[in-house]
Parts: sequence; structure tokens; C-alpha cells
Amino acid sequence: MQTENVIEIRNLSKVYRDFWGRRKVQALKSLSLDVKKGEVFGLLGPNGSGKTTTLKLLLGLLFPSDGEIRVLGKPAADVDKNERIGYLPEESYLYRFLNAEETLEFYGRLFKMPAEERRKRADELIKQVGLDHARRRQLKEYSKGMTRRIGLAQALINDPDLVMLDEPTSGLDPIGTREMKDMIIRLKEQGKTVVMCSHLLADVQDVCDRIAILYAGELKVMGRVDELLSEQDETQLLTSRLNDEALAEVRQVLERHNAKMLKVGHPTASLEDLFLRTVDESRARPGRRFMPGEDGAAGTPAPAPAATPES
Amino acid sequence: MNFNPLPYPIGQAVIFWLILFGSVTGIVLAIALFTSLVARGLKGPAAVLGQVRDFAVDMIRLSPRRVFALSSLTFKEAIRRKALLIFVVFALLFMFGGWFLSGTGERPDEQARVYISFVLRVIGWLTLPVVLLLSCWGIPEDIRARSLHTVVTKPARRNEIFLGRFLGFSAVGSIIVVIMGVVGYFWIVRQTPSDLVARVPRYGDLAFLDREGNPGRGVNVGDMWEFRSYVEGATRARGLWRFKDVYPGDNPDEGLVLESRFEAFRTHKGDMERGLLCELSFFNPETELRVRHRPFQVKEFSQNEIKIDRKLSMYDEETNTTKEVDLFDDLITDGTLYVEARAIDPGQYLGMARPDLFIRMANRPFYVGYAKAVFGIWMMAILVVALGVTASCFVKGPVATLLTLTFLIIGQGFREFMDRMVFQNLNNVLAGGGPVESWIRLIRHMNPQVPMEPGVSTSIIQFVDARMFDLLWIVQHIVPDFRHFRMAPYIANGFDVNFESAIVPGLAVMFGYLLPCLLLGYFSLKLRELEAK
Repeated sequence: MQTENVIEIRNLSKVYRDFWGRRKVQALKSLSLDVKKGEVFGLLGPNGSGKTTTLKLLLGLLFPSDGEIRVLGKPAADVDKNERIGYLPEESYLYRFLNAEETLEFYGRLFKMPAEERRKRADELIKQVGLDHARRRQLKEYSKGMTRRIGLAQALINDPDLVMLDEPTSGLDPIGTREMKDMIIRLKEQGKTVVMCSHLLADVQDVCDRIAILYAGELKVMGRVDELLSEQDETQLLTSRLNDEALAEVRQVLERHNAKMLKVGHPTASLEDLFLRTVDESRARPGRRFMPGEDGAAGTPAPAPAATPES
Repeated sequence: MNFNPLPYPIGQAVIFWLILFGSVTGIVLAIALFTSLVARGLKGPAAVLGQVRDFAVDMIRLSPRRVFALSSLTFKEAIRRKALLIFVVFALLFMFGGWFLSGTGERPDEQARVYISFVLRVIGWLTLPVVLLLSCWGIPEDIRARSLHTVVTKPARRNEIFLGRFLGFSAVGSIIVVIMGVVGYFWIVRQTPSDLVARVPRYGDLAFLDREGNPGRGVNVGDMWEFRSYVEGATRARGLWRFKDVYPGDNPDEGLVLESRFEAFRTHKGDMERGLLCELSFFNPETELRVRHRPFQVKEFSQNEIKIDRKLSMYDEETNTTKEVDLFDDLITDGTLYVEARAIDPGQYLGMARPDLFIRMANRPFYVGYAKAVFGIWMMAILVVALGVTASCFVKGPVATLLTLTFLIIGQGFREFMDRMVFQNLNNVLAGGGPVESWIRLIRHMNPQVPMEPGVSTSIIQFVDARMFDLLWIVQHIVPDFRHFRMAPYIANGFDVNFESAIVPGLAVMFGYLLPCLLLGYFSLKLRELEAK
């Protein structure tokens, strides 16, 4: 096995059995994949496809029925590997009677961090996830989004090399979602490896370098996101302020080269972009209604134009 | 009063524990190796041995800091879930308990006995349910809420999780016991009219001589033979005590103080205003020197204190003179003192048991004995926590609660019955056979003494009964003997809690279960899938 791989999975199978040992469901069938150091890897699939099972097998919460898993060069059941791992569960299964400071203090102690370092790190993370105002409130009083944020903070308390995120944007509002995605990108920039599973495809597309798509416990697709999404037999042009005359000329050029214009239209920003700009604008100018495109704040153009089909 | 503290054979107990623990561990390992070999071939036994190695490694690399973090979390959780509300019930009981307990007609020592028993019982009854519920629900609730996932995905080992939970709940139990113990102490002292002390007895061994002066076992006057035997008055029947390690105290002029609690059995009324007379004699078997002490009236159900001076006078029949004898120099050899007790009244009997005559050592303050009795409750609470946390590692909260409660009830309430059944079965003195045979006898209206008709059906019945007794034997050896934590009788009877007879067995039982509990809890957590569907 190669050393640059942070995760190596070979022929991994998982069968859930009942109390009497009878087979209930096969959650994974002979899965093999590698995750390389420093990449953001996404596990995709519909509900029941086996992505969360894979994550839990990697963490040692489940035992494989067959196959081999190595995480950071160690077997998944080895406790020592956890020194370098951060894990954000799908739901934030934290201790609800603790407040944010106590939560990070507790998890920091599990890593045997010195008291001073623990406090400093906890303070940094609380500020980083935007919970400074609620640091003394018990988690049972937190909203779902706040719980996700403190969940992320606990996953990062040990400054891990490998971060595993189960549905990281689940339950977050668009701002939280964007912040979470920014955080994932920052982790990548810091050289960390991130493995996330999600069924929110837009989120995965935004942050992942590589993805694997599972269906019914089997690996169906794996590769780089840009390569997988690229349509090699179509070409996209993006121009600014093209008038009808110029457009007619472009069409003629394309016809001369036996190409057909499929769509013509104005590009649109994504809904996420629009939402974020609205919120930003509202914060900057309270009480004023936000009109998109009003002051030239057109935002980032979307990669794909909203199309008017051409016959 | 059947209060009879016996010395605990700790050496034997440790050897027995080692044999039992070693046998059970060996059997479990052998079964695991065999089944894994059948299921997975040669990889199976290697995996089993790997688990054993992992346990050793995890024990060596156990981190006290992580254990402390987990126990602090457990403690905080219990406090924030309002476990200490139990003090409200405690306060209510103490505020109004006195109304129902005070009896003005009772003797002060009886009143003290009632108050002390009440306080110690309340502490036990309030502490045990709290620690039982907390310990049985902690880990299952963590698994259900999946909070444990965030812990086991950190470098926390399974033994650290077990110990963290165990120590956290133990800390909660300790706080409850200590606070209730302190409040209870002041309550007893305020309620009790007389000064309380903890008497320190030194018990001896008892043998009997019959009416002809030959060794015997005393007279049975009814159903009390199991504890007391009776000596007939005005005969050569005696109760013969041997006390060891009897040496002069700090003041060399002082003699000894004996205390007796003999019971009378009258075959005729006699003088009802006067207690039966009893005479004590001291003798030295090596020198055959015998000194008779002046007779005293036996006051039943109360303390008869007999002061023995160091210098005793005796009548020498050979020289017809009175001479002085030194208690320690002339009557005691190598620290051994022999005391004979006889009844003087003809036709009347005195009942004697081993603890009915003892040497009184210097009293200890009441709080010393009381603290030891509270310590007994604490040890019981710790054992309940250990059992509860262990059970919670492999079954869900309600089942763990039932399991631990069953251990507690059998270990406290049915222990004597179970011991008797096993003993009688092993010694073939069990009348009426086992459960199936007894049931058949009930149906057929058969006398327990009548033997069953030989045949195939009888053989089957006896085989099934034998297996049931085997099962009972296993249960007897698995379920802890909670009676060893019962120290209230000492203090309620005005005695200090004896270290060898009471504290040592309590500690032995508590520590005896901790390692097996840790092993069982560790492997239950290690070998189960926390996320299993």
C-alpha cells in the first residue's frame, strides 16, 4: 500500500445481522478506494447507499464483515489513530448538559492537551465557529445550526490531520453552509485531508476534489469532480454584453463550422449567491429593500447560463 | 439477640477468589478460542489472543487524565440531571422521622438502637437506588444518544470509559453517603438522651461441658439451639471460654472488664424479682489454678458489666488459707485466659453463645464506629455502581437495572436461604430433594422423609434437580454477598465495628468484584458495534 494514502480500503464488505446472526442487509459490497493526503474526498449516494456505513467503518464504530481498512497507516480498530482524526457526526451527538466551553474542554482532555493549550484552542474554535456569544449556554439550548457549529469545533479541537464529516451542511442555513464550505476549503489549504459524505450535491461539488458515488453498497463512480462533470462534446462561451447583431454573427460562424448553437441566454447567479448577497446587503443597509443588480452588484456569474433553447 | 461477629478468613478467601477467577477466565478463554477456531479457522484464535493482548496494552497505557475527564463528565452529568434531589427526601425523612421513632418508655440504649438503625437504613435505602439507576443508565443512554461516538472516536480506550463512568458515579454516591452520614450523625446525637460510645469487645471461643463435666454442646431448650446452648444450674455443666491475646493495659494495676449477655430459661418461676445467678471462674490449665469470682445476677437483654481486679483472692483448700492471685501473672499464660461460666440456681438454665461473654477493651468514640458503619454502606454503593456500569456495557438501561437489582436482592435477602440449600445439598442432608422432587412430593402428598420409589422417572427427576443445584451453586458463587456490608448491627448494639470481622470482608467483597467487572465491561464495550443496527 502506498504511503501517501491517508485512507486505504480494500474489498470492504459489511453485512448487518440480527441477534441470531441471520443476514438482515448487505450495506457494502467489496468496496475499494483510497483517499490521498491533502484532498477533500466526498462520498455520495442516496439514502441507504452505504456512505455513512463506510464512514463508521473507518472510525471503528462498526466492524467490517470482510476486507481491510487502514486509516493513517493503522487498522480502523486501533485507538491510537484517533489522535490525528476529527469526526463530525451526522447529528451533533454531544453532551447536552455541557456548555460550549465545557464541551471543548472535555474533548481536549481526551487528547491529553495541556490546560493552557486546551483553553486557548477552545477559545479560538469558539470564535471561529461564531459561538462566542453563546459560549456559556448549555447545548440543549442551542439551535440545530449552533449545535453543528460546536460539533465542528469539537472535531477540530486536536488540530487533526484527517477530518471526517458526516453531512456537514445538514441543518445549516445558507450562511452556515457557506461558512462550513469555507472552513473545509481552509482545512484543505492547511494540508488536512477531509472526507465528507453528503447528499447535498451542490455542496460536494463546491468543495470536493474527488468523489465516490455509492449505490446499494457498491461503488459506481469515482474520480475528480472537474473531470467527472466536464462534458467534452459541448463548448460553453461566456461573453459580456453581446448585442443581437454580434449574436447573429456568432451564429453564422458556428454554422460555417457545422456546429449548432444549443442555448442562448443571460447567465444567472446561483440561489445561494443571491441569498448571501441579500443578507450581506441587508446587514450593510438595514431597512432598505435589496434589488438584485441594482448597483452593479451582480455578484459572481454562474458557470452555466440559464438557457433559452434554440431550435 | 443473635449478633455474632466471626473473624473473616481473608487468606482462604483470597485463595478461593484466585481459583474461581482463574477457572472462570480459563473456561471463557478456552470456549472463545474453540468457537473462533470453528468459525474462522486459524485466524479466529489469533484474533482472540489479540484481544487479550489489547487488554493488557490498554491497561498499561491507561491514562489517568482521560479517566479523570470522563469521571468529571459523569459527575457533572449526574449533578445536572438533579441526582442530588434525593437530599429532599432525606431531609423530609429526618424532619419527621423522629415523631414516629421516639418511645418514651424505652430504655436509652434501645432508643439509640432504633435511631441508629433508622439513620443507617435510610442512608442505604436512599443511596442505593440513586447509584443503581445512574450507573445502569449512563452508558446505554450515551449509546442511544450516540454521545459515546464522539468519545470512542477520540483516543479514549474502553477501559478508560468504563473506569471514568465507574469513578464518576462512585463520586456521586460518595458525596451522597458522606453528606447523609454527617447529617445523620448529628441527628442521632441530638435525638439520643444518653452518651453514645462504641464498645470494643474481644471475643473468645466457646465450648460446653455437660452436667457430668464432660465435653458436650449444651442443652437445647427449643428452637434456639442454632445460636445459644443452655447450661443447667447447680450441676457441673459449664460454658468454657478461651480468650487469646489478653495482656495488661496501659495501667498495670488495672484488671479486666468482662461483659455478659446470658439469657435465662426458667423451668420454674423461682424468685421472679431476682435474676438467675451466674458464677464465673478463671483457671489456668497449666498450673491448674482456679479462682472463682463472686456470683452475679443475670440481667437479661442488657449489659452485665463484671469488673475483674488484677489482684484476686482465693481460698486454698489445701492450706485452708486465703491467698492473693495475680490475674495476668498467675491465671494467664501466653496471653490466653480461660473463663468458665455456670448457673447456680437448681433447675434453671442459662443460655450462652460465643459473643455472650467478652472482654471489654477501652471504649472508642461513637463517631468512630458510626463512620465505619457508613463506610460499609459506601462500599455497598461502590459495588452496586460497579455491577451497574458492567451490566450497562452489554445490555440496555432497563435490563441492566433489573439485573443489578436482582443481584442486590439475592445478595442481601436470599443469600442465607441459598447458602443453606447449597450446603444441605452438598452434605446430602436436604430433606425432600430438589425443586422438581419437592413439587412431585407436594402433588402426591408425600412426606419429605419417605424415599422416592427407584426407577427411571426418579433418576430423571434427581438428575434435573442435581443440575438445578449446580446452577444454584454457580449463582451462589457469582452473586456478591451483600451481608458483608451490613455493619449497622455493630453500632446499633453499641459496639465498634470490628476491622477483621466486618471491614475486611466488606473490602474483600468489594475489591473481589472490581477486576471481573472491569474485564467484563471492557470486553463488552470493545466487542460490540456501537452503531449496530
